[in-house]
Parts: sequence; structure tokens; C-alpha cells
Amino acid sequence: MSLPFKPASTPWLLAHELRLTWRGFKAGRKGGVGAWIAFVFAGSMILTGGIFLGLGLWGREIPIVPLAAIIADLILAMILTLMLSTTLAASADALYERNDLDLLFSSPLAPGKVLFVRALGLAVNAGLWFLVPAVLLLTPAIVLGHWAWASVFVVLGAAALGASGVGLLLAMALFALIGPRRTRTVAQVMAALIGAAFFLASQYRNLMGERASESLFARIALDVRDGKIVLPPFADWPLRAALGQPVPLLAVTAIGLGIFLFAARVLGRRFADAAAATQGAETRKAAKGPTRAFAAGAFRATVRKELRLVSRDAALLSQVLLRVLYLLPLAFAMSRSAAHLPVWALAGPAAAVTFLAGQVAGSLIWITVSAEDTPDLLAISPTPMSVLRRAKLTAALIPVAVLLAIPIAILAWFAPLAALWTAIGAGLTAWSSGLIGIWHQKPGKRADFRRRRAGSFLAALAELLIAFLFGGATALAVAGWYVWALLPLIVAGAVMMALRRTDEQIVAALRAASP
Amino acid sequence: MTEALIVRGLNKRFAKPAVSDLDLTVHAGELYALLGPNGAGKTTTLRMVAGLTQPDSGAVEVFGVDARKDPAGAKALLAWAPDEAMIYDKLTPLEYLEFVAGLWNIEPRAAKTKAEELLAALGLTDEARRRCEGFSRGMKQKVALAGALIHDPKLLILDEPLTGLDAAAARLVKDMLQARADAGGTVILTTHILEVAERMADRIGIIAGGRLMAEGTLDELRAKAGEASGRTLEDVFLQLTSEAVA
Repeated sequence: MSLPFKPASTPWLLAHELRLTWRGFKAGRKGGVGAWIAFVFAGSMILTGGIFLGLGLWGREIPIVPLAAIIADLILAMILTLMLSTTLAASADALYERNDLDLLFSSPLAPGKVLFVRALGLAVNAGLWFLVPAVLLLTPAIVLGHWAWASVFVVLGAAALGASGVGLLLAMALFALIGPRRTRTVAQVMAALIGAAFFLASQYRNLMGERASESLFARIALDVRDGKIVLPPFADWPLRAALGQPVPLLAVTAIGLGIFLFAARVLGRRFADAAAATQGAETRKAAKGPTRAFAAGAFRATVRKELRLVSRDAALLSQVLLRVLYLLPLAFAMSRSAAHLPVWALAGPAAAVTFLAGQVAGSLIWITVSAEDTPDLLAISPTPMSVLRRAKLTAALIPVAVLLAIPIAILAWFAPLAALWTAIGAGLTAWSSGLIGIWHQKPGKRADFRRRRAGSFLAALAELLIAFLFGGATALAVAGWYVWALLPLIVAGAVMMALRRTDEQIVAALRAASP
Repeated sequence: MTEALIVRGLNKRFAKPAVSDLDLTVHAGELYALLGPNGAGKTTTLRMVAGLTQPDSGAVEVFGVDARKDPAGAKALLAWAPDEAMIYDKLTPLEYLEFVAGLWNIEPRAAKTKAEELLAALGLTDEARRRCEGFSRGMKQKVALAGALIHDPKLLILDEPLTGLDAAAARLVKDMLQARADAGGTVILTTHILEVAERMADRIGIIAGGRLMAEGTLDELRAKAGEASGRTLEDVFLQLTSEAVA
């Protein structure tokens, strides 16, 4: 399909960029009807919420008071961090997509224009994730008389532009500081940290050892209400901009646009140079010291190979790191609760640890099984597939065990029985997630890690369900309600039996799915 | 004479027939070149022999082992190296060879020694502990070839082994394959470089439209094509394949 713009113009190039992004987004999502039903359902829910919001606020104005201003600031800060997390990872990736950039830079297009459009693509991509739900949520209120609220869309656009600019600047700064070889890895890890920043900030009291029941935001809101916090100048401008006041709206837009234009225009030439420098940047220095003895047998060799690949996968590590970050406040809460509170108070954190174990194991099993780089090599070897699958499952579970060892050891110090149930629950969840990943594997590429759940909707749903069920059973067991814990266990067992596939069925499903 | 590979009545159909009623025999210790135009069915045939593609019908026997009844037994005897190197970018050549040796259950110490010998023979000693991600296509091909040879296969199958190799690397690989055949190993290769087949192969099979059009030594092929001696393989190949198209 040809693009409806003048060839080589900025809109034409942007349309090309967005087309590639859209096709990349759709890649691996074969069950079109299911995905559309999910989108329509989620959209309907947001729209319904928007109608209630519109009706509830019909004829009322949002007062520009400190509490409203701080809420608007916090929401904008959260959106900005999430956008920055996306754009930083995407900016680093943009530098390394050699085929695409080689083609563009070898064309008569100015490098600055290429970067400008690529950055604009990042902004549109980051902005759409928030604009689409915002349009659904706010349109009813706008139609019902709050015309000025359409300014929220402009604020979101400005935020997306600003986040893209900062993402690019950060990526280029990393490039200058640590060189091409490490930039991608560090950028992905930083993106994960930034993405989790708001959650961690909200949990700082857990981390610092204060009361777990009170979040940072609740505290700020209370302090503002009680007049303990005086807002600095301009702190209410994001709210005023969102409500359509012209000067704050212009200022917010100018800041977002300014950062974006600065990054895109100033870095144009450097971006081209940096992209060129990434060629061959993956070459690492040879390892030194004596070589290790070779592993004996297919099982050990496969486990060792998978662990090496997992430890060298930056995208995977950043995702696992993200989950570990989510685990940290829980671990702190558990250790403190274990020391001071009755054992049933540990039920919630134990369930959460169990759930996270399943999530991490699910990610790892996707990498080791579905994202196998050379399936033909395994297929031509005389090693039975069952041995290889067992090795891959083992390799996926080892990092989970290592990650969970510390929080469970801390818990075991204070509440050994609760630690035992948590360890059993987490182990069962991780093992079940691994088995689901094997039974319902969908071959993919490592680069598609972030979209892995789109490959098999059923497997993703089953993985979640099983994690919830085992999490529930663990919580009940930790609380001492053993008989009740059997109920979710039985349901989980039945679900696993329904999902189970024999080796022959797995092979048949893979054959049916292959082109 | 021991037969390294016997293929009888092999059929495979995708959207249209890819391989039709193919019979092929490769003797032990010979270097056999399978030639054919693009889409002739060469790769599909070899993938079926390697156990990567299930045939619709027909029989494949590797050194007397029925590859359809005992796939693991047949796979233990052969190695397959496609034109796109089957390697892991994030592993070093040594780590890759350790993994491949494990798959074929080679004793670890012997495997390590063999891996170092192969890497040395292929000029990769200095790169042995560097990750493959920065390697050129030719270097990756050499690592994959080392992987194919680590378990000392009785039957080595290579699909376009010289693709992407520079002149020196191509010469190195050709010499290794020739040495292997001279030492009694069996090699089957496909190539678009007819000069390679002409110079190296003991026998040549020409395949077109999924069917074996002709098979034999270069002189036998010339005779089949009714060409005078002295004509090149290219002339014979073009005549036989154009007959198939007609």
C-alpha cells in the first residue's frame, strides 16, 4: 500500500515509521478476533467510566486548589516516567537497528531529518498509549460541556514530545559516556528502573521501615490538605494547562516541544555518527583465563548454554530486574511483619512473592523454549526433545530460585513455617508456569520478548490464573487455613491437567503453527 | 559398496510438489554434489534426510539406519550445516562447540580437544573466546562448520557451504571437505558454484522440479547430455535443467 504523502517528505517518512511500528505491534498477534474483543472490552470499560465521570461532573468545575494541583502533578509525573521508560529503550534500539538506518542514511535524506522523524515516531508511539484511553475517558465530559478539557490531549502530546527528547538525550549521553557496546544494555536497565520509579517512590516507607499501610502519595495528599505543604510557584500550571488556561497550556506545550526540537535538531549529526559507530560494536574482548571444562551430556550442556544466554540478554535482565524491584518492598514488609506481627499478616506478601515467582519463571521459560535461536540444531541432534525441554525448564527455574532465596531465607529466620509455605507456593507456581510455557510454546525471536504474551493468549491467561490460584493457596496456608488452601490447589491442578500436552501433541501443534 | 545414504520414492508437497518420487544413492566415502536451479527441491531433500522436514512418503536410510523409524540413530551419524549458520550470537565459538558436543553426547575432554583443533584448523583460535555477535558471515559459517564436525559425523550434509566466504576461507573449507572425503568420510553438498562441483565432486546429481534429472560422474553426465568431452559442467547443467523445464 503506498503512502498518501509526497515521497521523502517528513509526513511520508513519519507515515512509514508509524506503519512499521504498527506492523511490529501486530506481529505475533495471530488471534486477531480475540485481541479485538479484548481491545473493545477494555475500551468500553474506559468509555463507560468516562460517561459516569462526565455525568458526575456535569455543570461542576474542578477547583484549582493545592490538593487538585498536587494530584495533577503526580499523575503527570507518573505518565512522564512511564513515557520516558518507553522512549529511552526505544531510542537506544533505534541506534542499533542497522539495516533500517543504513538504508535511510545511504539515501539522499538529510540525517537530521531521519532523526527528527524517528524521534517523532517515538513520541507518537509513547503518546498514543495514553492518548487513546484519555480520549475515551474524557470525551463524554468534553461533550457534556467541559470543552476546555480537550487541553488534556495537548498536555499529553507535549509530555510525549518532552519524554522522547529526554529519552534521546539520555541515550546519546550514555553513548558518549560508556560507548556503543554497553549503551543498549544500560539503557534497557535504566528504562526498567525509571518505569518502576513511581512504584518504588510510593513504597519508600516500606523500604525505609515505616508504616506499611501508608503510601507516599496518601501522605502527600494529607499534608497538602492540612496545609503542611506549600506548593512552589507554577506547581499548579499542569492542572491549569489541563483545564485549558491559555498561558499555562502554551508554556507546557512550549517546554515539551522545546525539549523535543532541541534533542532532535541538535543531535541530528551526532545520532548518525553514533548509529554508524554501533556497527561492529557488539564485538567484545576475548575472555581471559583458563577455559572451563566442557559440560558432560546434553542435559548439562543445554542448562549451561541457556544460563549463559539468559545472563547475556539485556532486555530479559531489565524485565527480571523490574520484577525484583517490585519484590523488594514486599520482602522488606515481610521481614518486618514477621518480626512484629501475627503470622496471618504475612499472607498477602507471601501470595505476592508466589505470584511474582510465576511471572519471572514465565518470562524465562519463554526465552529458553520459545525463543530458541537455532531450533534446527536441536532438531537434528540425536538428543530426545524431552531431555532438552527438561534442561530448559531447569535453566529457567534456577534464576527464580536464586532470586527468591534471600527473601525466603529472611522470612525463615522469623517465621519458618510461613517461609516453608511461601517456598513451596513459589516453587509450584514457577514450575507450573514453566510447564505451561513448554506445553504451549510459540516460537518467537528474542527481540520480541516484550511482546511474548501476544504469541499465545491462552498460555498467558493460564499462567496468570495459575499464579493467582497458587498465590491464594499460599496465602491461606500461611494464614493457617490449610483446608481452605486445598480448594485453589485443586482448581490449579485441574487447570494444569486441562492444559497438559504430550510430546507428540507439542510437536503436532508446532507443525500446525509453522508456515 | 557400503551406501551412506539411500533415498527411495521421496515425496514432499507444500503448496505445490517440492520433491517428487526422488531416488538417490550416495556411496560411503564419496563427495556428492547436488545441483539444481533455485526452487528445484535441493534444500527440501536434504532437510528431509536430516530429519528436519517430515516427508509425505518415501524412505531414507543413513548407513543402513532407517531415518524414519529410528531418527535418533540416523541423526547420531550425520551433521547438517545450512547456508544460514545455526549459531548463537551471544555464545563464543568454544561455548557453542561445548553445547553441540553435549547434544551429541561426546565425552567432554575429547570434545574440548577436538573443538580447539577445529577452531585452529579454521583459523578461529584468536576468536575462540569472543562472542559470535560481531563476527562476519564467513566467520559464523566457519563456526557452524566446526559445530558440524565436532562429533565426527559419518555423513556430512552441507547446504551452500561457500556462501558468504571470502576466497581464502572458501579455499580452506574446500580443502577441509576434500580432506574429509579423502579420509573416507562422506560429504553431500549443494552449491550454485558449478566449478566447485566440477572440481571436487566424485559424483553429481542434478535435480529440477523436485525430480532427479541425472546423476553420475562429470563424464557420465556429459554422455547423458550428449555433449562432447571438454564441455563444462555449466553447459551440461544448463542443457539438462532446460530439458526439465521444457
